Amino acid sequence: TAGPGQPGPAACASWCRCDGDGRADCSGRGLAGVPERLSAFTYYLDISMNNITELPANVFKNLTYLEELRLAGNDLTFIHPEALSGLHQLKVLMLQNNQLKTVPSQALRGLHALQSLRLDANHITEVPEDSFEGLQQLRHLWLDDNNLAEVPMGPLGDLGSLQALTLALNRITRIPDHAFANFSSLVVLHLHNNKIKEIGRNSFNGLDNLETLDLNFNNLETFPEAVQALPKLKELGFHSNNIAVIPERAFQNNPLLRTIHLYDNPLSIVGVSAFQNLSDLHSLMLRGASKTELFPSLAGAASLESLTLTGTQIGAIPSWLCEDLHSLRTLDLSYNEIKELPGFQGCFQLEELNLQHNHIQLIHRDTFQGLASLHILDLSRNEITSIHQDAFSSLTSLTNLDLSSNHFSSLPTAGLSSLNQLKLAGNLEMKGPLAPRHFPRLRTISLPYAYQCCAFTGCESVLSATAEDEGKTGVSINADSAEEEERIPLPLHCSPSPGAFKPCEYLLGSWMIRLT
Amino acid sequence: EVPPSCTRGCEVCSEYNGCLKCMPKLFILLERSDIRQIGVCLASCPVGYFGVRNPDMNKCNKCKIENCEACFSRNFCTKCKEGLYSHRGRCYLSCPEGLSPTNGTTECAS
Repeated sequence: TAGPGQPGPAACASWCRCDGDGRADCSGRGLAGVPERLSAFTYYLDISMNNITELPANVFKNLTYLEELRLAGNDLTFIHPEALSGLHQLKVLMLQNNQLKTVPSQALRGLHALQSLRLDANHITEVPEDSFEGLQQLRHLWLDDNNLAEVPMGPLGDLGSLQALTLALNRITRIPDHAFANFSSLVVLHLHNNKIKEIGRNSFNGLDNLETLDLNFNNLETFPEAVQALPKLKELGFHSNNIAVIPERAFQNNPLLRTIHLYDNPLSIVGVSAFQNLSDLHSLMLRGASKTELFPSLAGAASLESLTLTGTQIGAIPSWLCEDLHSLRTLDLSYNEIKELPGFQGCFQLEELNLQHNHIQLIHRDTFQGLASLHILDLSRNEITSIHQDAFSSLTSLTNLDLSSNHFSSLPTAGLSSLNQLKLAGNLEMKGPLAPRHFPRLRTISLPYAYQCCAFTGCESVLSATAEDEGKTGVSINADSAEEEERIPLPLHCSPSPGAFKPCEYLLGSWMIRLT
Repeated sequence: EVPPSCTRGCEVCSEYNGCLKCMPKLFILLERSDIRQIGVCLASCPVGYFGVRNPDMNKCNKCKIENCEACFSRNFCTKCKEGLYSHRGRCYLSCPEGLSPTNGTTECAS
């Protein structure tokens, strides 16, 4: 009978499922060793999720056609230096989820065709200098979820063809200068979930083709200026760090950047020129840069679709904003100190605009002119005293309008016929009623006073009351019997809803009681 | 005793949704079973998926790259479908301009 790994008469080990074309799946069978009597022409062998603790010498000696070997999820603690000898065609070796404490460098030596090597989720603390010698074809290396305290610069130096590397989820605290100097082919580098506090000015020199760099969830306290050595960078993440300042011209050498993840940093200052000339930038989220006073220049950001800039001391929106950002769909400028709004004409693709919690006082005729795609507009918690009667006239797609907690006394209704949600609560100067016919699609409305809901929620005696009111407020209301039929049949929620102590009619003939 | 509905490597199992939480270092893959999602624990993600490791959970996510069979991350392919050419983690019907397959492989280089 054939010994472990010895070829059988094109048979299949009893524990395995073989497809007859060279693929053998022996995964999850509780095996303690490599199955015997495998076909000599096996090119794919999966013995993952078993209980194999060691690989003895020459265990795959005659499986010379093997291209993919899966040993993930065993309990491997030791791999004999000669265990993998003979595997000259091997391209993919999966050793993740085992108990290895060091890289089995001698065992790897002869694998000249190896392209993908997985060593993630072991307990590797040491990477011998010769770990990857001879692996000139290696393209993809997983070393994440181990116990590395530093970047194994020496051993990695042999991997000139490497294109994807992850060192995430280790205990790395610093990236020395020239740590990846030989990696001109590297495209993806993951360093997230380490303890990186310091990155040298020249740490990323040599990474001429890097497109993705993930530094999320580390302890960085200063902006990693070393990214300026990455001309091909498209995606950069350094969210969840301790960075307070994004310096001037931070990304001047990264013209291809599409995505920058920088949330969950205690940002306070953002350089005005930090984000200039990023023509591929797709979205930008800057929250809580509390000491930032000037709107960062976004010149050239023609691809920007989403911009969030909140929690700053910015007092004005530059007039050029929409000249550059004509791809903008969502704009969130809430929780700033904005007093005056420019015209948003050029942002004709805008769908959501959030200006909540600023100091805006006036809405001019042309402020929102041309925003035919706008669905959601939030102007709540400002100081708006006056809204031009045509301010909303071109907002033909507007469905949600929040104007709550302002100071205006009357609402222009031109252009609001598409609304299904309208919030006006907290505008205590707005005492007059509203005419339901201006809002044929309304589902939810919140108003300053309960009696104003009577026109919307069908209190029987509302008509006589509202007819009488018309004289006082000058707001056009049609109170004859036709109004009865026009009442909106669809379910509509109006708050605060009238009740015993908030009647639709007078209470003892006194207006004052009614207004409470 | 792990209920039958859960594969090996499961830490928290449910009768209705299979595994809810896998043992440390294993990936959870959410498979669809008619209207239900079933959690399965794996040491490596299946074809068309890649593993994302995080301190609290490891998950199999779909490769989002066209014509890719196995990927390293959301935007880097390690193995293109049969007959396609690869260059820097992307898959092509033919090598991009200025590049050509290197000595009989399906990898493009300048």
